[in-house]
Formats: sequence, structure tokens, C-alpha cells
Amino acid sequence: MNQAKESAFSPLFRPSEPKAWDHAIALALSIAYVIALFLSVPDLGMSRDEGFYVDAAESYASWFRLLLSEPEEALRRETIDRFWSVNHEHPSLPKSLFALSWLAHKKWDLFPYESLAFRFPGMLLSSLALYILYLFGTRLYGRLAGLYAALAYALVPAVFYHSHLACFDTPIVSMLLLVTYLYHRALTHKKWIIPTGIAYGLCLETKHNSWILPLLFLVHFCFVIENTIASNRLTLRGGIARLIPWPLIGILLIGPPIFIGLWPWLWHDTISRIEEYVAFHVHHVHYNIAYLGRTYFSPPSPPSYPWVTTLFTLPLITIFLGVVGIFLRFPLLLPRSILRFWPRSTPFPDPARSDVLVFGSFFTPMFVMMMPWTPIFGGTKHFLVAYAMLALFGGHAFSQLVEEWEGRIQVKLGISPFAFRAFALCLALASPLVATAHSHPFGLSYYTPIAGGVPGAADLGMNRQFWGFTTGSLVPWLNAHIPPHGRVWICDTLPTSFYMLKRDALLRPDIEIAWDLLSSDYALVHHEDHFNIVDYQIWEVYGMVNPVHVLTYDGVPIISVYENPHRKARRP
Amino acid sequence: MKESAGLPKKALLLGWIGLGIVLFELIGHKVIQARIPAREDWEEAVAFVRSEWRKGDALTSAPRWTDPLLREFAGELIDLPMAGRSDLEAYERLWVLSIRGARSDEAPPEPPELTKEFGRVRLERWSLGPSAVLFDFVEHVHEALVFRRDRGVDRPCVRIDVPGPTTGGLQHWPIETASRQLCDQARPWLWVGATTVMDLELRPRRCVTQHPQGPEPIIARYEKVPISERLVVYGGLWWERERWRNGGDVVLVVRLDGEAIGRMVHRDGEGWKRIEITLPPERVGSQGRIDFEVSAEWPDFRAFCWAASMRRMK
Repeated sequence: MNQAKESAFSPLFRPSEPKAWDHAIALALSIAYVIALFLSVPDLGMSRDEGFYVDAAESYASWFRLLLSEPEEALRRETIDRFWSVNHEHPSLPKSLFALSWLAHKKWDLFPYESLAFRFPGMLLSSLALYILYLFGTRLYGRLAGLYAALAYALVPAVFYHSHLACFDTPIVSMLLLVTYLYHRALTHKKWIIPTGIAYGLCLETKHNSWILPLLFLVHFCFVIENTIASNRLTLRGGIARLIPWPLIGILLIGPPIFIGLWPWLWHDTISRIEEYVAFHVHHVHYNIAYLGRTYFSPPSPPSYPWVTTLFTLPLITIFLGVVGIFLRFPLLLPRSILRFWPRSTPFPDPARSDVLVFGSFFTPMFVMMMPWTPIFGGTKHFLVAYAMLALFGGHAFSQLVEEWEGRIQVKLGISPFAFRAFALCLALASPLVATAHSHPFGLSYYTPIAGGVPGAADLGMNRQFWGFTTGSLVPWLNAHIPPHGRVWICDTLPTSFYMLKRDALLRPDIEIAWDLLSSDYALVHHEDHFNIVDYQIWEVYGMVNPVHVLTYDGVPIISVYENPHRKARRP
Repeated sequence: MKESAGLPKKALLLGWIGLGIVLFELIGHKVIQARIPAREDWEEAVAFVRSEWRKGDALTSAPRWTDPLLREFAGELIDLPMAGRSDLEAYERLWVLSIRGARSDEAPPEPPELTKEFGRVRLERWSLGPSAVLFDFVEHVHEALVFRRDRGVDRPCVRIDVPGPTTGGLQHWPIETASRQLCDQARPWLWVGATTVMDLELRPRRCVTQHPQGPEPIIARYEKVPISERLVVYGGLWWERERWRNGGDVVLVVRLDGEAIGRMVHRDGEGWKRIEITLPPERVGSQGRIDFEVSAEWPDFRAFCWAASMRRMK
């Protein structure tokens, strides 16, 4: 590469210190994602877990109101316990944000739907991931890599689905990314140690996935130390300080107080309640999940699960570029003392061992999910952060390929470098965009062509959905067919989630929930294998086996609707 | 960051592979969409089945996940016994609607006697020969006399026609059918009646729920049953408890005129278990009393369900 080309292309293709306009680009990416989520959210019924978190947020909102009106009463232990014991198995930060957003909506009528008031903070937090990925990618591999990483992550169908929700699964990705990014900064600049600690406190307050970070950073820091020693930079004067993991100490000292301080439920009986919180997740019940033709109800879980589900749900081009990126950076994942024996000439790793950090952040959640005792319910939602890190490696590979192709082909084609890069980016993101657009609003049911699409995954016996949110897709049919004041048995949909369809004025207000099959006019079955039992129960009570409507996605049944013939016969 | 590790000389090849993957995904997406059967395909195939339907026919679909679609379009042809069948011996012809080249696991190995295509839905029909079933004990359970043996004394159970709880859902036990026989008011789960349960493979099974009470049996007695060459019995436990695999064995004893002729010991994990009892040749063509006695040393959460039929040789 000649000197002129190097200087012209390096801001795009080489690691760069983010400038102010990089932050503007990152912000634009995040805002664009929020807009996309905002526009598509009415199609998504509320999921089961969202219903629990809405219940919790409403309780917390009542406490916030009380805090403003009667602070002394609000801070009494009995009062705190009354309002904050709801859903205390999860930390309170996202739910508190849902609550505050809802209170703001109540006061200023901010959102077109009440559900959106709860979901909006989740959307914002989820979109933060794009901001960080762009900056992180720019800093590690160049601006084009950062841009690709942010967009490739945004265009993972499962990420797009979860980013809509008043849940924690994509917010925790953003928080994990934020802590990892700040930790990386703090390795070389001490001024970032305190922000890293604060971010870790917020991360702890978001979801328990955060627990693994100190261990990950500890392992990573061993690489940093080894690098320091092997490169002979450990001098006697002040050099020993390089061996102290200050960022790690920062997160361990600052994080927990923030975690406790932001969660009122922990303000009393702190130790025993933290123990209870930890025990809940360490001994988490194994919900079932269908995987390759078998429904797993309990351990041992198949070690292949995170890899196969990734292969089947992530756009293949995203996987390919990520793997190529890991391959390209592979020598830089080795300890420096081993790297010196590497046969090919390879640049030395940076002092912060950035590639080790990114790879560790990618591999750790996948590794945890491979453990036979790890509950595997929830599809891919528990290791989405791995996809963000894979996208970073993919960004590096994409950037390198574009640079190489640009040198060889762009000149021959006679198009401008900008047009070539834009074309390459569009090409690399074309199939992820098509996949993500097509996956909506059935994001959990979507499978890529590698699995044969949605029907192919059904053939393979993969999970089709969970959380009962697809009732939202049935609303037009219900509005058109349920008789006045008709009662619907709602299967896996949480009552709060069902009522939210009415609060949002999407579902007719006279349609009610039936609490038993006998008194229902209609009954729903969300098609997951283990819910077959509900089909059979309905057959017995209704005395027939034929649904009156089957909601399908790519020809695959998602919900069956049965009509109670006994009630129908009694209607005028 | 010091600098990039650099790209091998195979950059062009990797680029072409990437391009190929993008094309594969875009074209694959289109192909998958194009292969989805239209509703009209199902409707036309079912209309043909309906026009040719006759008593003794059975209808199924492949792959298994299409079953809700089959029932949406052709549900009126499928009754509860057919939907919850244990095998096909009661039927004389089998219709299979299939998509995506799938083959029903119930289809006989020989080629079908009829094959037609309706768009992307394939219709096949097999002749199964005359029905082997002479008497279905599940469908006659309302005629059975049911007893609870209490310290050696058989106490009759009480017929009730009021359905039990129908809250439904994953935690719900077998739906208590409107017509059943309750064996102990103090133990409302101790009833005998036909219902549909889910077996360990999550398939529907139409059967007689007969929960054991302990070592002394609950007895379902059928009088004047036509005797044939064999009695085929299936049995299984409520799926949720059986998959826990921590319950006691359930014993089903079959008696002909008081004499034990067959015994099934069901252990957790065995799923929908089958036994076949060969009846004495001298009794074939006569009538007899058949008892199904269900007992268990540890009866807790042992919601046992069985299906049985008297059959000719096929």
C-alpha cells in the first residue's frame, strides 16, 4: 500500500481515536435504531416476562410517587418491602426506568401506547449498544469496522425482537458492552477507572449476567501482565504498578455500593436478600426448550446448544465475517511469550490486549451456556452479548476485505471509494436486513436459510416461540370474531400482557379473559411442543379437535384458536 | 492498538465466499417463501379427501408440526379416538397429507394405492385391510362397572356427570370428563373415565384414566365382551410426573372371567407402553368378563391411563 493511499484510507481502516463527529455518528445510529423500534413496536404483543416487569414497574412507580409526597413514609422498611418485593428476583434499574417513563407518560401523555411508556427505556438502553459498538470498533479496528459492527448487531433478528421489550436481555448487552469498553479505556487511562466502576454498578443493577465480568477481566488482566513482562516494559521504578488491576479493583469497590444503593429492596436485610437473589439464579428452575427434536425439561443441557442456535438464527454472513475476523486476529489472542514462536510475522499485541478482551467477551457467555447444568431456556437471549463481540470481529474482517478489494477492484470499476465502500456495506448487510425485516413480529420464531427457514426449523424440532407474545399478532382476528363480551382462554399469555392490549386500545375492550376452558368462548394454544397438552385439554372440554383459525408464520402454526361449540350453541 | 494482524493473500477468495453467502441467504429466503403451501392447496386436498371419505378411514399429516393445519382444514373428519389413537389397527384406509417431502411415521412401508398433488400438498392413501378391532374398551368405559377394593371388599364407584376443574394449562392433571366414576369423595382424583392425555413424546393418547389408590386395586369391569384372538393394551402415566422419573411403578392386571391373562408393570420413562395378550383359542367367539385392575405400592401422582381393545389377527 503506497503512502498516499495509507493516509487517505487510514481513518476508515485503521484504529482511530473517536472524534466528536464519531460520537455524532454513533448517536445517529442509536437514534435511527430507536426510531425503527418505535415504528415497529405496535405489531408486538407484550411478552409474558414483560407482564411481570410491568406489574413490578407499576408497584415501583407507586413508591416513587410516595417518595415525593411522603418521603418519611416511603423510606420505612415496611413500605419499601410492600412496593419493592414485587419481582425482587431481578435488579431494579430497568424496571425503575420503566416506572419513571410510565409516570412521565401519565403526566405528559408522551406515547401513543401505554405499553410503549414501559418499553421505551428498554429501547433506549438497547440502542446504546450500537453507540458503544461503533466507538469500540473505531478504536480497535477503524471506523468502517465500527460502523459494520453496530449495524450487523442491530440486524440480528433476535436482537431486533428483544430490543423492543420492557425486559433486560438487550439492555444488559449494552451495559456489558459499556463496562467492557470503559474497562478497556481504564487500562491505559486511569481517569476511566471510576466511570468503569460506576458503569459496573449499573450493570449489576440491570441483570445478573454482570456477575461474570470480574472473572473475565481477571483472566484478561493476566494476559496484560504477561504482555507487560514479556515485552520487558516492567521497570523497577513505578513499573510494579502495572501489575495491579486498577480497573478491576475499581469495579469491585464502586460497583456493589451502587448496586445496593439503587435497589431499595436491598436496603434492609442486605446480606440475606443478596443471598436470596443469588440463590434464585444459581438454582434457577429449568424451563423447557425444544432443541433438535427433543424438549429439554432439565439438565444435562446439550453443549452444542449455543453454537447451533447461533448458526440457525444469526445471518450467515454475520457469522462468516465474525469467524474470519477471529481467524485474522488469532495470533493476537495468544500470550506474547508464545507469539514470538509464531511462524508468520505478526504484529505484537497492544498493551491492553484488546483482542483477548473482545474474544473473551464473545466466548465466555457461549462457554457458560455450554455447561450441562446451565438452563438453556430463552433461545439465544442469554448470550446476545456474544453476537455484539462477534460483530466487532466481523467489522475488522469486513474492513480488511473492503480495503483489499478496494485496492484491486475499485480502480478497475472506476467508481468512487465512497460508493464502493457504501456498496460493500449494503451488500454485507443485505441479507441481515432482509432477515430482520422478515422476522418481525415473529422474532423468536425466525430461523435462517441454513436451518431451512421457519419451516425447516420446525422440521428439525427447534423451539418456535415462548412468552405467549404472539397473541398480539392475533388481535385483528380476535376483534373480528369474538362475540360481544366474549371470553378467551389465553394459554401462555400473561393476564397483564393481555390487558395491555386493551390498555393500548388495540384489543376490543369488551373481550375478557376466561379462567377456565369450560366457560370460555374461545381458547388459544401457543404452539410450543410442550403446549400440546393444552390442545388435548381443549379437545376434551370442547369435544372436538378442529381449531377455527390457525395463525401461521411462513406456513408454520404459531397459534391455534378453538371455538367452544357448547357456548356457541347457546348464543343468540 | 498497535496495528492490524493483516489479511492473508486469500482476501479475494474470502470476498467471493462472502458474496456467495449473501446470495445464498437472499436466494434461500426467496426459495423458502416460494415453497410454502398456499391455503388453497390444503383446502383442495382436503376437499378431495372429503369427497372420497368413508367409514373406517383415518387421516393424518406430515411433518408432525402440520397437525394443527390438518385439523383446521379437516377437523370434522377427525374424532377424539382418531386424534388420540395408539395405532392404526382400527382403521381400514389411511390418508396422509404431506408437505416438504415429509413421510408420516404411521405410513405403511409399501407404496400408496393413491397419490395426488394439490399444489405443494401431496395426498397419499394406503389400504390397511379390514379393521382388527372388535371391541374398544376406552369407548365403552361408560358401560364398565368400576370398583375400589377396600380391605378385600370391592366398593362400587359413583357415576357423576359434572365435569371437574377445567382451568387447563401445563400444571393441570388429566381433564376430568363429564361422565366418569368417582371412587372416593375424599379423593377427587380417584376417578375412572375416558380422556385424552399427553404421553412422554408429547403425543395425544385417548385412554381411560384410572389412578391407583395403593396396593389394593381400582377395578374397571366389562361384562359380555366379545372375545377374539388378542387383547392389545397400551398404558402410560401423566407426562409431567413420568418425566420426573421419581415415581413408583404402576401395575395393570388384566383378567378374563377372574383369571389373570396379562400384566403390565409401568415404570417411569417407559412412555406409552404396549403389551399384547394372546387369548385362549377355545374362548375366541365367546363372550367374557374382562377386568382391568390398576394398583401401585406408591400411588402418589400416578395418574395412569390405559387404552385397550379386543382384536382379531390382522
